[in-house]
Amino acid sequence: MAEPQAETKQNDKILVAEGLEVSYGATQVLWGVSFSVTRGKVTCMIGSNGAGKTTSLNTVAGMLRAKNGRLLLNGDDITSLSPRDRVRRHISLVPEGRQLWPGMSVEENLLMGCFLRQFRPKAHPGLERIYGLFPRLKERRHQMAGTLSGGEQQMCAIGRGLMSEPQLLMLDEPSLGLAPRLVDEIFEFITNIARQGVTILLVGQNVNYTLQISHYGYVMETGRITLEGSTEMLMNNEFVRRAYLGIAEETPSK
Amino acid sequence: MDAVEYLDLLLKSLLLAGVYAAMAVGMTVIYGVMKIVNLAHAGFLMLGAYFALEMFQRFHVDPILGSVLALPVFFLFGMAVHWLLIRWLPKSDTPTLASLLLMFGFWLVLQNIAYLIWGNEDQSILTPLTLSSVQIGQISIPKVNLVVFAAAVFCMAVLQIVFHRSWFGRSMRALIQNPYAAQIVGVDDQKTARLTFGLGAAFAGFAGGLLGMLFSFSPDFGRPFLLRSFVIIVLGGLESVSGVALGAILLAILETFGINIPLPVYWHGWSFHYLPPSYQQVIPFALLVVVLLILPKGLSSLFNRKWKAA
Ligand SMILES: Nc1ncnc2c1ncn2[C@@H]1O[C@H](COP(=O)(O)OP(=O)(O)OP(=O)(O)O)[C@@H](O)[C@H]1O
Ligand SMILES: [Mg+2]
Repeated sequence: MAEPQAETKQNDKILVAEGLEVSYGATQVLWGVSFSVTRGKVTCMIGSNGAGKTTSLNTVAGMLRAKNGRLLLNGDDITSLSPRDRVRRHISLVPEGRQLWPGMSVEENLLMGCFLRQFRPKAHPGLERIYGLFPRLKERRHQMAGTLSGGEQQMCAIGRGLMSEPQLLMLDEPSLGLAPRLVDEIFEFITNIARQGVTILLVGQNVNYTLQISHYGYVMETGRITLEGSTEMLMNNEFVRRAYLGIAEETPSK
Repeated sequence: MDAVEYLDLLLKSLLLAGVYAAMAVGMTVIYGVMKIVNLAHAGFLMLGAYFALEMFQRFHVDPILGSVLALPVFFLFGMAVHWLLIRWLPKSDTPTLASLLLMFGFWLVLQNIAYLIWGNEDQSILTPLTLSSVQIGQISIPKVNLVVFAAAVFCMAVLQIVFHRSWFGRSMRALIQNPYAAQIVGVDDQKTARLTFGLGAAFAGFAGGLLGMLFSFSPDFGRPFLLRSFVIIVLGGLESVSGVALGAILLAILETFGINIPLPVYWHGWSFHYLPPSYQQVIPFALLVVVLLILPKGLSSLFNRKWKAA
């Protein structure tokens, strides 16, 4: 959709990643990855399986440590902060595979999004807000999350991520494994959330959709950013069309 | 054996199951949150019994009250142990040899300190309750068993509320069910682990006091109960509090009935024999072997295969 927006200014960057290098044990996975996320916009990251997108998001969330490189949030260096301190600074991750607590109710899963003491006062108003966004979750709020359908689980995971009113919401493959109708629905939700002014960093294997709802995108290949640009530019790019869109239109890449 | 005797045995095993559940639940939460098999649990049980004894002899505190007082005292003690020893263990998703050795060593230390202080003779806590009993029809039940059961069930109920209604309880369940997700929302795993270890120690101290009212004890007291606790939490699926209640009931029933009803034996033809009472100790062991072989995920895997109902 990418509605025409005012030119972005340099200091509008909410998050800047500079030269991230991340390893799992002895295997290096990210090789100097740099990207930035603009306030109030949807920025996306696409790339084939194993490129390092999830690793990048986990590094921003603090679940993985970068052995080189820097992360700046509103200009502050957050590279060495714990995951908790990053949540405290209103960074929120909706992880790949939802990662709910299967034996907790939907409502408890959502409440956990406000686990930090500073967020607790807004836990209950937050629930109402999330139920407004996802009425289906309200109907099922006492149901165990493990018994939800895939689409409902994804809504619950997004809801949990929104509970703390994040300034940066990271979504990792939110449509993974969902039926086409639900994929539409989830992307519509994301568009709505973005319209309300939440800054989003989106990783999607559904490249077509992902590019459509984003403003700016990065292409990642084997641990490096190989291409970046406005989504119009990416959608018209020969390489992207051939490698992602051409195939993606027929069969999603996973 | 007539129906009344069966009813009597059933009642006795249920009463025993209450204290068994309180005894094992501490080990379960510690295992669930930290993946540590707390072998020092035996030491906490033993110290709990001595705590109730000392409170009773020195300050004339009723041993039930003494056991309840053990909750806050052992909570602080457990947190200190975590802060001094356990937090240095490398993190792991499965029990490590290092953690087993550390907990085993710590148990030996507690045991030897107890030998120094109290010597090795058997102690028991005798109150007026110990010797009186209530008569229900033809069944007579020692009052002490009833009171111990009530205290155990009450504290388990409080624990269940903490587990489900408090932020601390939610953080424990979150770490048990999905530690990665817990970290994403900002749960402090070290702090939760410290509190959990405190909670586990608190319930061990409490249960130790209760057990000390039912059985005589020495510094080696915890050993058979450690094995029982382990059987119960394995039966309960290792990480679930409701599973613990189930496991406790099953073990108590098997132990009670095992030595009180004649078992069929094939030896040059069928005949019925009583298991000698000394073999009662063998029952939990045998049960453990059977469960590990056929139900490695515990009884609850019979009911729900999808998730751990912690
Ligand atoms: N826990 C781990 N231990 C070791 N290697 C890992 C681990 N997680 C990911 N990797 C490796 O790191 C590389 C990048 O993985 P990552 O999950 O970041 O890719 P991705 O871009 O998210 O892929 P996908 O589209 O399949 O989700 C892969 O080669 C993967 O095998
Ligand atoms: Mg991924």
